[in-house]
Amino acid sequence: MTTAATAVHNAPLPGAQAAPAAAARQVTKAYGAGETRVTALDSVDVDIQSGRFTAIMGPSGSGKSTLMHCLAGLDTVSSGRIWIGDTEITGLKDRQLTRLRRDKIGFIFQAFNLLPTLNALENITLPMDIAGRKPDRAWLDQVVATVGLADRLKHRPTQLSGGQQQRVAVARALAARPEIIFGDEPTGNLDSRSGAEVLTFLRRSVDELGQTIVMVTHDPVAASYADRVLFLADGVIVDEMHAPTADSVLERMRRFDGKRTS
Amino acid sequence: MLLKTSLRSFFAHKGRMALSLIAVVLSVAFVSGTLVFSNTATATFDRLFASTASDVSVGPHSDRTADRQVGAKVRTVPVGTVQKVSALPGVKSAVGEIFVSSAVLVDPATNKTVGPTTGAPTLTGNWVETPRDSLEITSGHAPQGSGQILLDSDTVKKAGLGLGSQLRLVTATGNYDLEISGIATFKTTNPGAALAFLDTQTAQRTLLGTAAYTSVEVFGDGSRSNDALKAEAATAVGTGFDLKTAAEQKAENAKGVGSFLDFMKYAMLGFAGISLLVGGFLIINTFSMLVAQRTREIGLMRAIGGSRGQVNGSVLVEALILAVLGSTLGLFGGIGLAMLLIRLMSAVGMNLTSAGLEIGASVPIASYTVGIVITVLAAFIPARRAGRISPMSALRDHGTPAEGKANRIRAAVGLVLTAGGAALLVTAAQADKPATGGALLGLGVVLTLIGFVVIGPLLATGLIRVLGAVLPALFGPSGRLAQRNAMRNPRRTGATAAALMIGLALVIGASVFTSSYVSSTNEQIDRSVGADYIVDGGRNGLTPAMVSAAKSVKGLDHLTEQKEIAATLTLPDGTRSDTGLSAVSPAFVDDFRLPVKAGSATAITGGGVSVDEAFATAHHLSVGDRLTFDYGQGRTQSLELGLITAKGNSLFDGNLFTGIDTVAKAVPAAELPQDVVLFGKAESGVDKARTLDALQESLKAYPQLTVKDQAGYKKIIQDQINSLLYLVYGLLGLAIVVAILGVVNTLALSVVERTREIGLLRAIGLSRRQLRRMIRLESVVIAIFGAVLGTGLGLAWGITAQRVLSGKGLSTLSIPTGTIVGVLLASAAIGLLAALLPAFRAGRMNVLAAIATD
Repeated sequence: MTTAATAVHNAPLPGAQAAPAAAARQVTKAYGAGETRVTALDSVDVDIQSGRFTAIMGPSGSGKSTLMHCLAGLDTVSSGRIWIGDTEITGLKDRQLTRLRRDKIGFIFQAFNLLPTLNALENITLPMDIAGRKPDRAWLDQVVATVGLADRLKHRPTQLSGGQQQRVAVARALAARPEIIFGDEPTGNLDSRSGAEVLTFLRRSVDELGQTIVMVTHDPVAASYADRVLFLADGVIVDEMHAPTADSVLERMRRFDGKRTS
Repeated sequence: MLLKTSLRSFFAHKGRMALSLIAVVLSVAFVSGTLVFSNTATATFDRLFASTASDVSVGPHSDRTADRQVGAKVRTVPVGTVQKVSALPGVKSAVGEIFVSSAVLVDPATNKTVGPTTGAPTLTGNWVETPRDSLEITSGHAPQGSGQILLDSDTVKKAGLGLGSQLRLVTATGNYDLEISGIATFKTTNPGAALAFLDTQTAQRTLLGTAAYTSVEVFGDGSRSNDALKAEAATAVGTGFDLKTAAEQKAENAKGVGSFLDFMKYAMLGFAGISLLVGGFLIINTFSMLVAQRTREIGLMRAIGGSRGQVNGSVLVEALILAVLGSTLGLFGGIGLAMLLIRLMSAVGMNLTSAGLEIGASVPIASYTVGIVITVLAAFIPARRAGRISPMSALRDHGTPAEGKANRIRAAVGLVLTAGGAALLVTAAQADKPATGGALLGLGVVLTLIGFVVIGPLLATGLIRVLGAVLPALFGPSGRLAQRNAMRNPRRTGATAAALMIGLALVIGASVFTSSYVSSTNEQIDRSVGADYIVDGGRNGLTPAMVSAAKSVKGLDHLTEQKEIAATLTLPDGTRSDTGLSAVSPAFVDDFRLPVKAGSATAITGGGVSVDEAFATAHHLSVGDRLTFDYGQGRTQSLELGLITAKGNSLFDGNLFTGIDTVAKAVPAAELPQDVVLFGKAESGVDKARTLDALQESLKAYPQLTVKDQAGYKKIIQDQINSLLYLVYGLLGLAIVVAILGVVNTLALSVVERTREIGLLRAIGLSRRQLRRMIRLESVVIAIFGAVLGTGLGLAWGITAQRVLSGKGLSTLSIPTGTIVGVLLASAAIGLLAALLPAFRAGRMNVLAAIATD
């Protein structure tokens, strides 16, 4: 716990001077009460730097998905505070949270990202439709070109491959220019080639479009595309790594597994 | 093992089953309720008749022809008959009774008729003690002398009268002022009639105008059988009498009550039929969705070795559980319904509660048969589909079940049926004979209905694309998502909308028919009625006193009388038919512009007779033919056919007209029935409204009469037709309740199926309000889709019916646009209503749970 807090505060990084895109302070999430109480997150402090690609790793049950859900305003916390940009989201009502998700956050889920009744383009512009905003045409074209879907826009999700579907999901997340994009195992259902494609797009959107991305994954290769990897175990951030490679992440994970089993 | 899976699955989906269960329960409840009610009523009346019928009843010889006439003279038996039969061995007592249904009771305080005006009769008679009285005096005393009357307690209560109240008795012999001297209560069941009693002399004087009885009731001492008693009595009284034993009386009485109960029975079975039909769709839909949702589960069952038959069977067993449960609840619901009906009947004067419910074996047998057959039949198609699921489905990843595409065979079958039905309707509309047209129409209605049900899913995609086109523009993303959702499973949308379609098609068809009927009749009245006023005598006709009262009104140019004479007609070719003859006074031809096909209108008052065109064509009659009329009691007359009336006018179709003076040549004036209706013509130049007031004033003492001008008469016709519409609306109401259940069902299941989709939408920022709106709009689109189909079908039916009957008086087509717009708006409201619960549930769905991957 202290490790994580210290890691965040004692290691100023390039870009860290800017206000974080999202931040959590002393966030605890527990289910149940009394003897059956399970602590999914235990007083977590974290800052997500703007314009960076952050990966959250950890074994099953480490709380990595819960952390992401809490950061994204999909789940409530038991205690602690969370900010998206300079808005504190802990304590917001459902309506305000919904608006926040709509206007400031993009999502990419592991599966079932698209509405089967809408075609690719309609899926991409859906968040803006919901908000009643007109999509920025030039930006939309750029995003569509970046993810390489220009000739597939009129296709329904069932007519697209799994990789193409995830690319549509990425395009949707990017199109509305959210302050932050959360990905929940976005490549978990893809073969390695399609996965690499999607991750490349995410990387490029950070590098070329200046997007902030937080991604939960258990795949060291996926994590290697990030600028920074946070390691979670038993609801606590136990370590972090900058400019990771697949090997270094795998090695850290192995060490961490060994530590846990010992 | 199979049963265990089915049971588990049934209870796992009990929420979903609940709606189908309601449909089964409703249908079965109507069936069992109908049976319980009619069994109870029959048993009650059997007891009543058994306890009150005399052993042998001696009545006047009835003449089938003459007794059918409205306002016919009452037939009697001579007073001496009592002595003749009471002297017979084995007779304990013989009592002369008087009962007539033609007398009218009026409360002078309110000037309203006392007793029922439709349905059961008001019977007035003489108060005599017999060994089997159905009434006993509970307050006051028996009527004595010319100024007293005794009434049954139900009638007294309903009319707000009491001991000492004044009553006016209106009979063919005159008006009499009486005072209530006593009140009697039914010992068993009041069949709904009003009963009034005078003392014997007063009854003879006022009701019959002669010292006689209407029947002599014979009670035996038990030493011989009723049949033996009847035979002996018959010898004693001679010819000219009809004798009936207790059993024969009972059978005759039961027939009278039966016809009324039958109407109730068929109306209720109509409700049952509609709810069964619509409920069937609900069950099909529920099971289709359950099967679709369990595709993987079923695939797994098949993969580990379950046979196709076992899968099929497990679904059917589930349906059977639903059926048994639904039938049981429906059975008890039906008993409740019957109790409610009995309570309702007692409010209109038929007291059945004293007897207790008569259930019998037929009720559970019918309930379970209906419930099980309909449910299993409806579940059969989905069950077969379940059996065809391949084991591979277990391995495939189904986020949502495969979306059923309307297939080609279905399209072809639907198109053929619909086209065939439409062709039949078109042929029906052009048919020469209404009977042929009617048969074609019936067949066409059935075929188009089935065709529409089959083709519905195909239409769903196209029609909803059009109907829903405005949604995205009006409601933004919620609108677009709703439209797409309504189109994504056309089969489901089609089946859901079909339930609503049936109800609406019925109501639109019926309202086109009735509104055409009303406007046709109005138009015919305008075209052919020259009379200004009509005085309708109702079921008892007009007494001579009434006619002379009306005649004395100032400002009337003349009054035309019309009598309905019963006669048996013999045609030149020898065929006979029982047909009524309308006898009119000479002014009739001035008051009505008879549509002439051949001959001349004045012929009917100049000793000739008229028939309508259809009758003339059917029997190859032409002007100048001679027709023979038999008026009963050996009175016959040969009349020349002087006029054939053109068809297409309901006022005259089916009527044979002749002059009153013509009939009077064959039947003595005293034996002629009373007038049934009077037509009045105002003198030229007088104020017609004032003359109507004067006419109404002159007949004020007779509240049973309807005195109207043309406008008032049209209104009466409209009111009569409206009461028919209420029954149709009742049917619609039920169909709509079941249809709403269907929409709720479909939406609720869709919401469950689309849990992840809803979660995704919520995650990317769709607000609760937008989500609820999306579901509401989907519901409205489905409802309006059903309404549009129903309206189209109903219009086609109604217009064809009008065309078929255009020669039968339904000459003008009138489309009730108000009703149609109302129906469409109501459907939208139904859609909103049905979406309430599913939308609420969807809104409350936890975003995280919804998107959590399994």
